Amino acid sequence: MAKLSTMGRLTAHPAGILGGGGALLFALFIGLPVVALLVRAAQQSDFLDAVTGDVALTALRLSLFTSIVSMAVVVALGTPFAYLLARNDNPWLRVVDHLVELPLVLPPVVAGVAMLMAFGRNGLIGSGLEDLGITIPFTTAAVVFAQIFVASPFFIRAAKLGFQSVPREYEDLAQTLGVSPWGTFFRVTLPLAGPAMFTGLGLAWARALSEFGATMMFAGNLTGKTQTMPLAIMTAMETSLDNALALSVMLLAGSVLMLAALGLLTRRRWQGQ
Amino acid sequence: MMDRQGEPPAASGWVQCRVGGFSLEADWEIEPGQVLVLFGPSGAGKSTTLRAIAGLLRPVSGHVEIGGRVVYDDGGVWVPTHERRLGYLTQHYRLFPHLKVAANIGFGLRDRGSPASKERIAELSSLFQLEGLGDRYPWELSGGQQQRVALARALAPNPEMLLLDEPFASLDAELRRTLRRELRLMLAQSPVPVMLVTHDREEALALGDSVQVINEGRTLVTGDPLEVLGQPGQGRVARLVGVENLFDLAVQVRNPRDGTMTCVGPGLRLEVPLDSGGASPGGGEDRVTVGIRASDIILAKQELSGSSARNQLQGQVVSVESHPPGYAVTLDCGQPLRCHITGAALEEMGIEAGQQLWAVFKASSCFLVDQEQPPKSETDH
Repeated sequence: MAKLSTMGRLTAHPAGILGGGGALLFALFIGLPVVALLVRAAQQSDFLDAVTGDVALTALRLSLFTSIVSMAVVVALGTPFAYLLARNDNPWLRVVDHLVELPLVLPPVVAGVAMLMAFGRNGLIGSGLEDLGITIPFTTAAVVFAQIFVASPFFIRAAKLGFQSVPREYEDLAQTLGVSPWGTFFRVTLPLAGPAMFTGLGLAWARALSEFGATMMFAGNLTGKTQTMPLAIMTAMETSLDNALALSVMLLAGSVLMLAALGLLTRRRWQGQ
Repeated sequence: MMDRQGEPPAASGWVQCRVGGFSLEADWEIEPGQVLVLFGPSGAGKSTTLRAIAGLLRPVSGHVEIGGRVVYDDGGVWVPTHERRLGYLTQHYRLFPHLKVAANIGFGLRDRGSPASKERIAELSSLFQLEGLGDRYPWELSGGQQQRVALARALAPNPEMLLLDEPFASLDAELRRTLRRELRLMLAQSPVPVMLVTHDREEALALGDSVQVINEGRTLVTGDPLEVLGQPGQGRVARLVGVENLFDLAVQVRNPRDGTMTCVGPGLRLEVPLDSGGASPGGGEDRVTVGIRASDIILAKQELSGSSARNQLQGQVVSVESHPPGYAVTLDCGQPLRCHITGAALEEMGIEAGQQLWAVFKASSCFLVDQEQPPKSETDH
């Protein structure tokens, strides 16, 4: 009954007609390529071979390793930074805030070139690092650098909003109850901001896994060293469509798993959701 | 139950605070188990005082003692909030939404999960009628239950002082009364000093052992709740605590034998208690401000003959408004006179606008209010 009346209201409303049409078109627009990818991959005879092939596994391992490292760095440094942004109105902090969001709008290729100019062999501080025996460009470290650069804003933004949504009165109250500021952060602030932070982490991770442009420019395309999944797909496209398809399906599966995990982690038990 | 060794805790101190352009001076002294009510309009500095005591705000100068321990002194003592051993309760219950009721109550306990802390949670749950709710989340509770949990949570770590910032303001009148009674019971069992912020007169009278009226960051008067809120001696205080009828009158004649004097004003003639003064030094006429509580006035359909009440004024009913739990009737007796009556009385007498009624009250129900010099402009209310 309830469902029927909802439908009735929707069809009578312009939002129902226009929105319904839009929803259908978007579902087709996004669903069709996904289905096509799966259908083509399924038609392959050597799909399993391609998935378990050396190229695929090496790229997968590198992608997982680098993205986990970069997410660890982003969470470890981004969390306190986001908290500071949420709780402080310092004008200089605002400037830093905007600077940190720049990668959201900057084309990744430009980010790669910029990082080369900074950390490259002849870069601003890269030459100094070179003298110390530290080389960053075209190493696995460069892959991590590129991922942190493009992905960190997704986490920091979400975490900042998450912290802002925790009323300061909760923190004040916790302290009047005899809980230290650190205890308050871990027992009140972090759990309450948690769902928002997991959302941000999921987005950042997806962005890091799909990183292509900046990695290409700054880290190159070296198998086993800097060739992550997206780079491996592009390389495979040049020789074998089948391999590219297999890699793509793997990455697609990973994305779907991520969405599901996010849904679980951001569920707020305590609000009955 | 809340056993304590040696001296029971008490609280005292003074602070000067500056928040933006607002400056506050406050001082207090509270005996164990006593409730000091901070009364005043919003923006008067009541909450700021509480925050300063809690250490959530740093005063410019001052000295704060809780349970015989100095927690702040401008000479260089600063005990952080979490070491002050306070219970702090606000109008927004702020139960931790991610924790169940039991975890909320036990939030401030050491050794959470230990038998002792479980016992303490059970004890407070039964004291505040929260048994069986331990496994619920705060959103599953009613407003009254939420405030009980908040109160239990504040009391669990055995605070040495309670700071209550309009704790019952968002509850309905009935529930407010119940919780006040429970708070009173609880205080009898664990005598900690309490500072209560409110701008509800009924609450101040019901809970306060003493009342401090605050306005614009300054304390106007401290004293017994009935005296301060019932027949306030200062014009500013009278207006802040909401004395409904204030008249500016001229003294016509003094009757020392009766202890009264007759005062007149536009359309009014009242018998009021005798003041202490004679003729004013300036030689002009004596002017006084007279206050009458709306609840001290009796309404009658005819003039009462053979009544001891010295004041009988005839007037037309201008308006009848709801004023829970009863009604407020405004009569035009030359000047508007506000009276509070019960709903039953309203119905029985069939009072409606336009009717002619008599307002009857004793001379002793009238009280003289000092007009301070120079008169200050009112900003709040």
